Amino acid sequence: MADTGVTRLPGAHGGPGGTLTGFMRTWEFGLLVFMAATYLAGVMINPKFFGDATALFSILRDAARFGVIAVGMTFVIVNKDLDLSVGSTMGLSAAMFALAFDRGFYDLQAWQAVLVAVAFGTGIGLVNGVLVTFLRVPAFIATLTMLFIGRGLILGLTSGRNVAFDADKVDGPLFFLIGQTNALGFNNQIIILALVATLGGIVLARTRWGYETYATGGNIQAAGYAGINTHWVRIRAFLFSSWAATLAGLMLASQDTGATSQAGVGAELIVIASVIVGGASILGGRGRVIGSVLGAILLVLIDRVLREGFPIARIVKIGDREIEILSMARLPPGAVPAFLGMILVAAVLIEPWILRRKLIQRFVARLRGRPMPMVEIESVAIESMQTTGTSLTATEFHARGMTKLFTYRESAAVVFVIVLWLIGFFLRPDFWGNLDNSFNLLLAFTEIGIMAVGMAYVLGNGDIDLSVGAVLALTGSTAAFLMKKADMAPMIAALLAFSVGTMAGVINGFLSTKAKLPAFVATLGMFYMARGFGAWLSGGRQLSQFPPQFNLIGRKFYQVLDYWGIPPAPDSAFYALSRAVSTQTLILAVLAVVAGVVLWRTTIGYMVKATGGNRRAAEYAGINTDRVRFLSLVFVAMCASLAGLINIAWFRSFGPQAGAFRELDVIASVIIGGGSIFGGFGSVFGALAGAAVITLLRALLSLQVITKTGSFVMPQTWVNVAIGLVLIFAVLADIWFRQEKIHRRLPFRRRAKHPTGGDT
Amino acid sequence: MTDMAGTTPAVDMREINKSFGAIQALHNVNFRLMPGEILGLVGDNSAGKSTLVKILSGAYQRDSGQIFVAGKEVHFKSPQESRDMGIEMIYQDFALCGNLDVAANMFLGRWPRKGIFIDRRRMEADAEAVLDRLKVKVNSVRQRVESLSGGRQQSVAIARAISFDPKVIILDEPTANLSVMATQQLLDTMLELKSQGVAQVIISHRLQDIFEVGDRVMVLKRGAAVGERLVKDSSQDEVLRIIVQGDGAEEALSA
Ligand SMILES: Nc1ncnc2c1ncn2[C@@H]1O[C@H](COP(=O)(O)OP(=O)(O)OP(=O)(O)O)[C@@H](O)[C@H]1O
Ligand SMILES: [Mg+2]
Repeated sequence: MADTGVTRLPGAHGGPGGTLTGFMRTWEFGLLVFMAATYLAGVMINPKFFGDATALFSILRDAARFGVIAVGMTFVIVNKDLDLSVGSTMGLSAAMFALAFDRGFYDLQAWQAVLVAVAFGTGIGLVNGVLVTFLRVPAFIATLTMLFIGRGLILGLTSGRNVAFDADKVDGPLFFLIGQTNALGFNNQIIILALVATLGGIVLARTRWGYETYATGGNIQAAGYAGINTHWVRIRAFLFSSWAATLAGLMLASQDTGATSQAGVGAELIVIASVIVGGASILGGRGRVIGSVLGAILLVLIDRVLREGFPIARIVKIGDREIEILSMARLPPGAVPAFLGMILVAAVLIEPWILRRKLIQRFVARLRGRPMPMVEIESVAIESMQTTGTSLTATEFHARGMTKLFTYRESAAVVFVIVLWLIGFFLRPDFWGNLDNSFNLLLAFTEIGIMAVGMAYVLGNGDIDLSVGAVLALTGSTAAFLMKKADMAPMIAALLAFSVGTMAGVINGFLSTKAKLPAFVATLGMFYMARGFGAWLSGGRQLSQFPPQFNLIGRKFYQVLDYWGIPPAPDSAFYALSRAVSTQTLILAVLAVVAGVVLWRTTIGYMVKATGGNRRAAEYAGINTDRVRFLSLVFVAMCASLAGLINIAWFRSFGPQAGAFRELDVIASVIIGGGSIFGGFGSVFGALAGAAVITLLRALLSLQVITKTGSFVMPQTWVNVAIGLVLIFAVLADIWFRQEKIHRRLPFRRRAKHPTGGDT
Repeated sequence: MTDMAGTTPAVDMREINKSFGAIQALHNVNFRLMPGEILGLVGDNSAGKSTLVKILSGAYQRDSGQIFVAGKEVHFKSPQESRDMGIEMIYQDFALCGNLDVAANMFLGRWPRKGIFIDRRRMEADAEAVLDRLKVKVNSVRQRVESLSGGRQQSVAIARAISFDPKVIILDEPTANLSVMATQQLLDTMLELKSQGVAQVIISHRLQDIFEVGDRVMVLKRGAAVGERLVKDSSQDEVLRIIVQGDGAEEALSA
C-alpha cells in the first residue's frame, strides 16, 4: 500500500503516536475511517466496479498524482501561502513533455523532454515565489493569475489539440514504465507517491527545512527575527509544489502516452481540499504530509464515487404495457466540481470551528462527564490573514497645477485609455475610429464595467470576489434553463435567475463574515460551485432561442421603446440616440452614477473605505464592518447576475464559456483604476476607467493587423495570457508605485512637504 | 490634586480580579483616578496593565470587584458603554484608518451628513476646531493620516477621542514606536488635555515620559498592585526598584 510507509512518521506537533489507541485519536485515523465509509458507499452504488480489487488500485493510481502535488502543497500551506497554479502547472508539464517528445513537434529523447517540463515547472515555482515574497503580491492573486496564464499557454502552444505519441516511440524509454502496472499488480505511480510522501514527510517533520517552514507559517515576523530567511523558505515551498505538479504532469503523460489540453483542469481544487481535509490549517503553521496524502486519496475516492453511474430501473409506459428499463444514472457535468467546491469550503471551516474549539473532545468529555478541555483560542480570527502580512502605507504625491491631476489614483487608467485608443487608431485608422467599432467596444465594456462597479466596493473593503465570472455564468444558465426547459415567462425567469445569483453573493457574504473565512477562500469555493451548478443546469451545452422580449435587455434602446409601443418620433434627437445606445449601456450608466456617488460621498462609501483601511479601528468606532462587507459581497454578486442576464440576452444564447476569465478582467480593472488589493482605496470612476483599459487592451490584442505580407490576428488564448500578465503588473504597480516610496526615483515633479515640518 | 480630600474620583476600581484560564492576570487590584490627573501605570511585561485598562474600557469583563465612574457603579459590557460614560481608550494599532484623511478619521463612523451626503465642509471645520483646541498642527485636515508622522497620528487619535468630550482618556503604550520628537509632541498634547481637566491613564515602559507629565505612578507586578508614588516625591530609580522587587509590605502578600 502506498501509505503504510509513511504512517509512522511522527507529526511535527508531537501528536500522540506509537500506541494503537494513540493512533486512533489522530486526525489521520478519522480520515481512514471516513475513507472506508466512502468506499462502502461506492460499493453500494456500483458493486460491479467498486467491489473489485482492481478498482482500489485504479483509485490509488489516480490519487497518486494528486497525492504527489498535495505533498508539495503541504509545504506551501504550512507556510500560510496558497498555490492555485498547480493544476495548470501539471497540465503545462504534460503538454511541454508531449510537445518536446512527440514526433509531430520537436521529437526529442524522453529525458530531454523531461528536462524541458522540469525547466518550465521550476520557472513557474520561482515566479510564484518571487512574486509573493520580494514583490509582496498576495499569494492567491499571484498564483491565480499564474493558473490562467498557464492554461492560456497550454492552449496557445498546443493549439488546443490532443497529442498521442507514436507506438514505436513509446516502446523504448524507461519513462513510460512510470505509468504502467508492475509485476505486483499495481501501478508504478503508487510507488512514486510512496517515495515522494516519505521524502516530503521526513523533510517536513524531521529536518531544519521543515522546522523553518512551521516557524514561518506560525509567525513570520518572529521567524524573521530569529534569523530564518523567510523569503527563501516560502520560495522553496513554491518550488516544491511546482516540482510536484510537474512530476504529476509527467506521470499523467506517461500513463496516457500523450497529453490533452484539459490535463489538470481543476486539480488545484482537489489538492488544496486534500491538504486542508488532511488536517492542515489555512492559517498556516499546521499540517502533516501523511494527512495530506490521505486527504488526496479520500478526495479522489469521493470524486470517483460522485462520477460513478449507479444502475437504476425506470418504469416506462408504452401504450398500456409497463416496461422496466435499466439504465445508469450519472450526475450531470458540473456537479462534481460543484460538490468539490463545497467540500473545499467545508474543509476550511473544520480547522477553526471544530478542531481549534475542540468540539469533538468537548463532546466526548460531556458524554463521559469529564472536565471540559480548554478551547485553544477564544475568538477565531481567520479573516485577519486576508492577504499574508503585507499592508503598506500609501504615499501621497504633492503637486500643484496641471501635475495635480496626476496625484489622483485614477489618473493612470485615464492616461492608459487615451494611449491605447490612439494606438488602435494608429494601427487600423480605417476601422478603429468608426462608429460600429466604438459601439462594439462599448458593449464589451458594459459586461466588465458592471461587475467592476461592484468589485470596487468589495476591494474597497479589503475583500475580494473570485467568483464573479462564475456567478455570471450561473445566472445566465439559470435564466436560460428556466426559459428553455421550464418554459417560464422571461420576466419571472430573469427575476429568479437574478435571485439565484444574488444567493451566491449571500453565501459568499455569510462565509466571509459569519463563518470568518477569508473572502478569497469563500469566493474560490463559490467559483467552483457556481460554475459547476451553471454547467449542471445547462447540461454543459449551449442554450439559445429565448423569447424575444428577454433579448431586449441586450438590444438597442429603440427596440425596447418600440416593444412597449412608445417609439420616439423618427426625426427627433431622442430617436437618433435611442437607436445608437443599447439598453445595457443605459443600465451601466444608471448603476455607475448611483453606486459611484454612494461610494464617493455617502456614509456607506466612507464605511467601506474605513473597513478596508483598518477594520478594527472601524469596528471600534461603531461601524458594523461585517454588515458592510456582507452587503458589498452581495452587491457584487448582483452586479455579476445583472451582467449574466445581459450577456445571454446580447448573445441570444447561453454558452458554457460565458464569464470565463472575467474575474481577472474585473479585478484588474479596479486595481488599474486606483483600487488596492489590500483595501481602502478605489472609486467607481476609476473602476470604469480601468474597465475601459481592459476592454481596449482586449480589443487591441485581437485586432487584425494588416501588414505588407498579409494580416495577423492574435488567438484568444494568448489574449487571456496577456490579460493575466496585465493583472500581475497592475498589482505590482499598485504595491510598488502607489504605495512604496519608489516614486521618489521617478522623474516626477512633486514637493515632499511633510507635516512634521509644520511645527516649531 | 490627588490629595484633595472630598473630591469624587473620576474612576474607582475596587478589588478587581481577572483570570484567563489558569493565569490569574489581576489579583485584588485597587485603582483610583482623580479628575484632571495623569496617572502612569507601569510594570513588567504581562504584569496585567493592559488587562486592567481593558476591563475599565469594557473590552474585557472582570471576574469580581466593583467599578465606580464619577461615583456611580458601572458594569461595562462593551467599549461602547464605557464611551457613553465618558471613558475613551486609545488603541495603538487600531485607532485610525490610514487611508482616510484627518477629518474623516476624527469623525470615524459618525460623519456629519447633509441629506444623504457627507457634509465635508462641516466635518473639516469641526475637525480643525478640535485640533486647534489641542494645539495640534497639521498642514491640512484633508491629508491622509498615513502621511503624518507617528506622533501626529497619535495626536489625531487623541483629538478624535476628545471630540467625544470624555472625562477619562486611557493611552496604552502610546510612545512605544515614536521618535523623540514625536514623543514630545504627544506629551505636549497630554499636558494641554490635562489643563482642560481631562483625567488620563498612560501605560508606558519609559519612565522618563511618565515623570515628565505624570502626577502619580502605580506599579503592577504579576497581577497585583505593589506600589504607588507621587511623581513629585519620587524618582525614576525608586519606581524602577519597585517594578523589579516590589514594595516592602506588599511583597510579602504577592510572594
Ligand atoms: N485574551 C487573553 N487570553 C488569555 N490570556 C491573556 C489574555 N490577555 C492577557 N492575558 C494574560 O494576562 C496576563 C497579563 O497580560 P497583560 O496584557 O495585561 O500584560 P501587560 O502588563 O499589558 O504586559 P505588556 O507590558 O507586555 O503589555 C499575561 O500573562 C497574558 O498572557
Ligand atoms: Mg500591554
